[in-house]
Amino acid sequence: MYDVAIIGGGVVGCAIARELSRYHLRTVLLERLAEVGFGTTKTNSGIIHAGQQTTPGTLKGLLEVRGNAMFDQLQRELGFGFRRCGELVVAASAEELASLERMKADGEAKGVPGLEMWDAQRLRREEPNLSLHLVGALFAPSAGVINPYEFAFALAECAVQNGVELRVEQEVESIALRDGGGFRIHATVPSGPGAVQAGLGAVKAGPGEDSVAGVDVEARFIINAAGVHADKVAALVGADDFIIRPRRGEEYLLDRRLEGIVTRLIFPVPTPASKGILIIPTFDGTLMVGPTAHDQDDRFDVPTTTEGSEEVFATVRRLCPSLDARATIAEFAGLRAVSDTGDFIIGPSRVPGFFHVAGIQSPGLTASPAIAVHVVELVGRAGLPLVEHDQFNPHVAPPARFATQSHEVRQALVEADPRFGRLVCRCELVTEAEVHQAVDHGARTLDGVKFRTRAGMGRCQGGFCTTRVMQILSRRLGVPFHEVTKRGAGSWLVIPMAEDREAAMTEAGGMSAGDTTAGAGEEAPCSDA
Amino acid sequence: MTARQEQHYVCISCPIGCPLRLVHEGDQIIEVEGQECNRGAKYARQEFTDPRRTFSTTVPITGAVYGRLPVKLSAPVPRQAIPAAMAAIRLLSAEAPVRLGQVLLRDVAGVAGVDVVACRTMDRVMITPSDDPSSAT
Amino acid sequence: MFGRMNRRYDVVVVGGGPAGLAAALGALDSGVSRVLVVEREPEAGGILRQCIHAGFGLHHFREELTGPEYAERFVTQVMDRDIDVAPHSYVTGLAVDSSGHRLVRVLSERGGLATVECRSVVLAMGCRERTRGAVRIPGTRPAGIFTAGLAQKLLNLDGYLPGRRAVILGSGDIGLIMARRLTLEGCKVEGVFELMPYSNGLTRNVVQCLDDYGIPLHLSTTVTRIHGRDRIEAVTVAPVDETGRPDAARAWDVPCDTLLLSIGLIPENELSESLGIALDVVTGGPKVDSTLATSLPGVFACGNVLHVHDLVDFVTEEALRAGRFAGEHARQIRRPRDAIALVPGANVRYCLPHTLSADRPHTVYMRAKTRMSPCILRVGNLLERRLRFVVPAEMIHLTIQPELLERFYEDRLQIDLLPVDGGGVP
Repeated sequence: MYDVAIIGGGVVGCAIARELSRYHLRTVLLERLAEVGFGTTKTNSGIIHAGQQTTPGTLKGLLEVRGNAMFDQLQRELGFGFRRCGELVVAASAEELASLERMKADGEAKGVPGLEMWDAQRLRREEPNLSLHLVGALFAPSAGVINPYEFAFALAECAVQNGVELRVEQEVESIALRDGGGFRIHATVPSGPGAVQAGLGAVKAGPGEDSVAGVDVEARFIINAAGVHADKVAALVGADDFIIRPRRGEEYLLDRRLEGIVTRLIFPVPTPASKGILIIPTFDGTLMVGPTAHDQDDRFDVPTTTEGSEEVFATVRRLCPSLDARATIAEFAGLRAVSDTGDFIIGPSRVPGFFHVAGIQSPGLTASPAIAVHVVELVGRAGLPLVEHDQFNPHVAPPARFATQSHEVRQALVEADPRFGRLVCRCELVTEAEVHQAVDHGARTLDGVKFRTRAGMGRCQGGFCTTRVMQILSRRLGVPFHEVTKRGAGSWLVIPMAEDREAAMTEAGGMSAGDTTAGAGEEAPCSDA
Repeated sequence: MTARQEQHYVCISCPIGCPLRLVHEGDQIIEVEGQECNRGAKYARQEFTDPRRTFSTTVPITGAVYGRLPVKLSAPVPRQAIPAAMAAIRLLSAEAPVRLGQVLLRDVAGVAGVDVVACRTMDRVMITPSDDPSSAT
Repeated sequence: MFGRMNRRYDVVVVGGGPAGLAAALGALDSGVSRVLVVEREPEAGGILRQCIHAGFGLHHFREELTGPEYAERFVTQVMDRDIDVAPHSYVTGLAVDSSGHRLVRVLSERGGLATVECRSVVLAMGCRERTRGAVRIPGTRPAGIFTAGLAQKLLNLDGYLPGRRAVILGSGDIGLIMARRLTLEGCKVEGVFELMPYSNGLTRNVVQCLDDYGIPLHLSTTVTRIHGRDRIEAVTVAPVDETGRPDAARAWDVPCDTLLLSIGLIPENELSESLGIALDVVTGGPKVDSTLATSLPGVFACGNVLHVHDLVDFVTEEALRAGRFAGEHARQIRRPRDAIALVPGANVRYCLPHTLSADRPHTVYMRAKTRMSPCILRVGNLLERRLRFVVPAEMIHLTIQPELLERFYEDRLQIDLLPVDGGGVP
């Protein structure tokens, strides 16, 4: 029996897992998808907010400012991509300027450091590519950009290294109250369309467990960090005190040659529904614009749309006229877990031992480390003994990145490990050693390698590296090439021709090579022209 | 007496792609029109009397740098014979080394003189990149 | 020798595809003896190795070959003539030392990160495919979306089918050839969709790859939405108007498990860009003079890295020249600078090289913007030639003889493609 089961391996669940791993506890982290951080986290805008934009007096407002302050240390410990580039909320009118003044006062009351009002002249000097119509801005130096998936991967890896059990491809199906306290969680492998078709074997279950029938996990406490599915998970124990309404956001990633058009995060003045559509100079040096904000009922389907693209570019061009939709190299969408309470829902539910960490929309990523500390404290108050582990290791080794090294360092890397001499992704200069490292650090899928190494993120979008990465994954996971997936069950990539050949041989029924009649009558591919 | 009928083709002899109209009575070709040069008429006549095609595919190969050996037909076959030719090639496999032009199957689909031949040389390799011992764990 | 890489060469060729192999042979022909080809794949031959269909070599060899056969002819010559080929090797950068030698940084498993010294470099990295991002198709991001070339590699080199039910976007030759290839291998091709009102591929490929197999070609139609959570399940397609805007009211869904993108090729110029070589925004390749030299002294370019060709035969021709000029440069043979700028005029999308000299014949390559049939090719006021047709998919080549330029004293020569019914240079 586990002390704690965390349901949901997004950035929040991963942060909680790492926080719990500081103590002498048996903790399990259950994730529905093939890897952690593959849901909302992967599609996050990647902003560490300064905190001045959130309504004062809310839980999210409190945890946001607290969370922001934790990132320097976290970055040192976990090595994810993070840079405090600062943010500008820009005003296009006198009214907007007035609301920025109010925002500044609110932010200072919450303890947001270094807020400054900039006039049009200062704004022009600092960000010369912004629209000339802008009349001023509120500058918040403590805001930053982050690679959110790297953060989640590192949190999970750190947690696992300190004893947390991570189980992926576990979809929670039922939760029962155990006699004598605690819960019994039944989880099964999520079935996606096509999973059976491609004969996927990539099922993750413990030894001796029948993965198809599902697994049972028993735990004294449950922390529900299931993101857009949190209300459904809560309903399994009758703790559905809230409703989650997914709010889709579309993001557009622009070509690297636009690097430097803006150097800080650029926000319009926010509305109650969202912080608006922004210009994001990502940690990796590309520009990203978005997100949109549209409520939807579907919790799985996350398309980008023509309307979304038009909305994004029309909006950001008002801030920065030189941005053009034609510079898009990739587009994606994600779902925010918006609760009907309007604030984060963190704490005990009406079912003793079952804790919610729900409705974590923006600024959830910023707040996530503070959320983790907060919720662990609450579970501790409810009876979980928090005895600190003296062996806790807060660090994970950051991956060696060949591309960003000097000639001399590169030489040393290749000498130490010849696999650094074998190029896998030519756009982002990723070597075979880095792909192996990614697998060592938990990558199980093409996307897992991509988001850890950047292989496949460049201009050719995987045209060159896909087969190379698939080969390495196949070897390392001990599965046939065709069982490697893009991102887990259902996302199969190829079908072996050998299979087809066997079928052909059976069909031919021992027909001799060169027989003119066999097969000719069936489904002749030639039409009569 | 057979009725006069017509067939339409797009000439593939050059990139212009002349739309060709072939008029015939039964097997008898009456005329071809629409072509800008002689090759058009020739093409239409061939298409009408005996349309032939060729194609390339691959067969599995062991011991080579890649898992497939490209092969082609040594000459075009009647278009109707393509499915049978493809079915026959599906039963083939090869083992490295293979030389360019090596015949893997004679008289494919019963078409005399048309062979399945290797389109490249594939040497025997002892260690393929995919099972390089330095990468194994 | 295959697998050998020394520290010093006359000419280093970046890329061992058809351009690189011919450039290496051209360099040797010019009288140098030490030539290295750096190839990132396990063997030389480049993209031709996966282009298993016939249709190559009609110009160069006067016979129809498959891609692997065409490649092997050059690989054999390169091996026979003692050119070094470094496989599994990748050029990460290029520098110039104080004595004017080029220092090529080559990354490989066996050699580590080596520095190779040489006098001339030939860029022959080929091109890459445009991706989904470039055409911005909305929808989900499932598995099962492949560029046609990646699918071709999986199928023809590795032996894997991309799926069982495919839609192909783009009717360029790769798309058409893959339609037939997939059909032969038992994958149902639901249709080829082309944004333009005409196919971008050769007519014979439309006939032999689509018509023969009953695969529909939908012109002026494009994919407007991708559906499917984990693996692609369908695409929405819609007819487009003259401006390319889809008509949502006439859209329909096509169920499929695979989407192949055959939507264009882009010269692979990351290395060129990192070296600060001047690029032509139209071709996407370097600007070159009549010796195929780029703006960086001693660095030459040829093949698809210079501009995307439709026939490998012309790649070979261009690369042999580039190799010869690179070899001459290595032997310190210096030519006077070109005096004439060659500029595209009416209905000419681009023409190459960017400059000419009056001392020798030049091969000029160009592409039309739109179809014209018949048409007049006019080179300044020096030459007029009647062409039966021009189409964007077919590169036009022309030889300009030195006699023609004998009494040409201007510094700018314009090429126009004009309709036959009169009309001067606009």
